[in-house]
Amino acid sequence: MPGAERVADDVTMISRMGDGDEQALGAFYDRWHALVHAVVQRIVRNADDVDDVVEDAFWQAWRQAGRYEAGRGSVQTWLLTIARSRALDRVRSTNRLREEPIEGDAGEIVVQLATETDPSMDAESAERRRVVLAALAELPPEQRQALELGYYGGLSQSEIAERTGQPLGTVKTRMRLAMQKLKDGLKVLREDAR
Amino acid sequence: MINDTMTHDTAREALEALALDALDSSEREAVLAHVQTCAACTSELAALRAASSELALAIQPVPLSPAKRDRIRARLMARAAVEHKENPAMSVEPTIKPDYEVLIPTHPAIDRRPSITRHWMTSTSSWIAMAAGIVAVASITTLLQVSAERDRLLSKYQNESVASYTGSAMMDSLQGVINEKERMITSLTGPQVAVVSLASSSAPSPNGRMFWDQAVNQWTFIAHNIPRPRPGRAYQLWLVTPSQKISAGMFTPLANGDVMMQMRYALPKDALQAVAVTDEPAEGSAQPTTTPYIVGTRVASR
Repeated sequence: MPGAERVADDVTMISRMGDGDEQALGAFYDRWHALVHAVVQRIVRNADDVDDVVEDAFWQAWRQAGRYEAGRGSVQTWLLTIARSRALDRVRSTNRLREEPIEGDAGEIVVQLATETDPSMDAESAERRRVVLAALAELPPEQRQALELGYYGGLSQSEIAERTGQPLGTVKTRMRLAMQKLKDGLKVLREDAR
Repeated sequence: MINDTMTHDTAREALEALALDALDSSEREAVLAHVQTCAACTSELAALRAASSELALAIQPVPLSPAKRDRIRARLMARAAVEHKENPAMSVEPTIKPDYEVLIPTHPAIDRRPSITRHWMTSTSSWIAMAAGIVAVASITTLLQVSAERDRLLSKYQNESVASYTGSAMMDSLQGVINEKERMITSLTGPQVAVVSLASSSAPSPNGRMFWDQAVNQWTFIAHNIPRPRPGRAYQLWLVTPSQKISAGMFTPLANGDVMMQMRYALPKDALQAVAVTDEPAEGSAQPTTTPYIVGTRVASR
C-alpha cells in the first residue's frame, strides 16, 4: 500500500475507533502490533511486562482515539509516543531504568545496524527500516549514543551526561546534531507519506 | 538558566531534546510554554517528533508468536466489546487533557479550571436557589442495575470454561469488568459518600445524582432523561464551591438519555455547595455560559 494511502487508512481506522468501532481496533492492532511490540520490548526488556505494556498501549490508543488530530502528527508518531511512554512508565515504576545498565553506556551502539531484514515485514516497512538504519549509520557514534540513550533509555540529558561522564553541554550538542541529521535523513519518509 | 521568559533561540535549541522527552521537567515546561506561542517551533517540534518515532523502525523486530499475538488481540477486542456494549459513550476519552484524572469519562474534561469572575460570583446564589426549588429524584435504580450487571457478569465468568487463549482472554477481561463493577458499587455506597441530587422541572424531567466518595476523592455522576445536545454543543458538568465553578468534564448522553461518568478530584469536604450541568460549546467552556440545565445542592452525607 503506498505511503499516502496507508496514512489515510490509518486515519480512517483511528476515526472509527473514536466512534467505538472495535473491529477497527482489531485492524489497527493487526497493522501496528509488530512495531509496538518491538519498541516496548526494547525498552521494557522484562518479558513478563512486555505483553501487558503492549496491551496497555493499544488500549490507551482505543480510549484516546477521539483525541487524535492528524494535523499534529502521523498515526505512527502518535501511537509510538503512547507505546514508548507506557514502556518507560513501566520501567520507571520498577526502578529498573536506573538500576540496570543500558547498552551503549560505554559507547556501545544499542541498535545493531547490520541486521537482516525481518522476513515478516512487508516491502514498504522493510524499505522504511532501511532508510532509518542508513540515517543512523551516518551519525558519529557519540551522537548516536546520545540519541539512543534518550529514546530507548528514557534518560534526560543531564542523566546521560552523568552516565557517560560527558559535560552536559556536550550531550546537548550531540543530541541536537543527531536529531537534526536524523530528521534530514528521514525527510524522504515524510514526503512519501504525503 | 532556562526559565519562563526564554527566548525563541533558546527554546529552539532545546526542541530536539524535547522531541526525545530528554529535558528535565522545569526546562520542558518552559520550552513547551514557548512552543505554544510560536508557530515555527510548533512545526519544527512536530517534524522532530515524527523523526524520533521512526527510531522504532531501527529496532530489530523479534518475531511474536501467533499465539501471543492473538492472545493480546483477543483481550483487546474483548475489553472493547464489553465496554462498548456496556456503554458506548464510554469508549472515547476527553479530547482535551483534563487537569485531574478522569477514570471513566464519557467526554472531554477541561484542562483548565474556571477562573473566578464577577459573572461567576454573582450567579452562584441564583443557581443554588434554583436547585432548592427542585424536587430531587433518587436514582437508586442505577445502583440496582450496576449490582445486577455485576452478578450477571460473575455468572458468565463462572460459566466460562473455554480453555483456549481466546477464552482465557475473555475471562481475564470479564474479571476486570467485574472488579470495575465492584469499585463502582463501593463508590456509590461507601461510608464517606456524599450525594447531590440534580433535577429540573422541565420536560423530559432530566435528573441525576453525583456520588462523591470523599475517602478517595472519586466522583460518580449518573443521570437520566438527558436529551441529545444540539449540533456543536455538549453538556458540561460543574462542581460548585463558594468561590469557584470547577469543570468536571464534558459529556454527551446515550441515545436513551443515560449518562455515567467518573472522575477523581480532591476537594475540601465542606467546599461543595452544588453540582450543575450546563449546555456549552462542544469544546467546553472555562466557565458556565448558560443557565444550568439541571442543578442540585448538596443534600446528604453518609
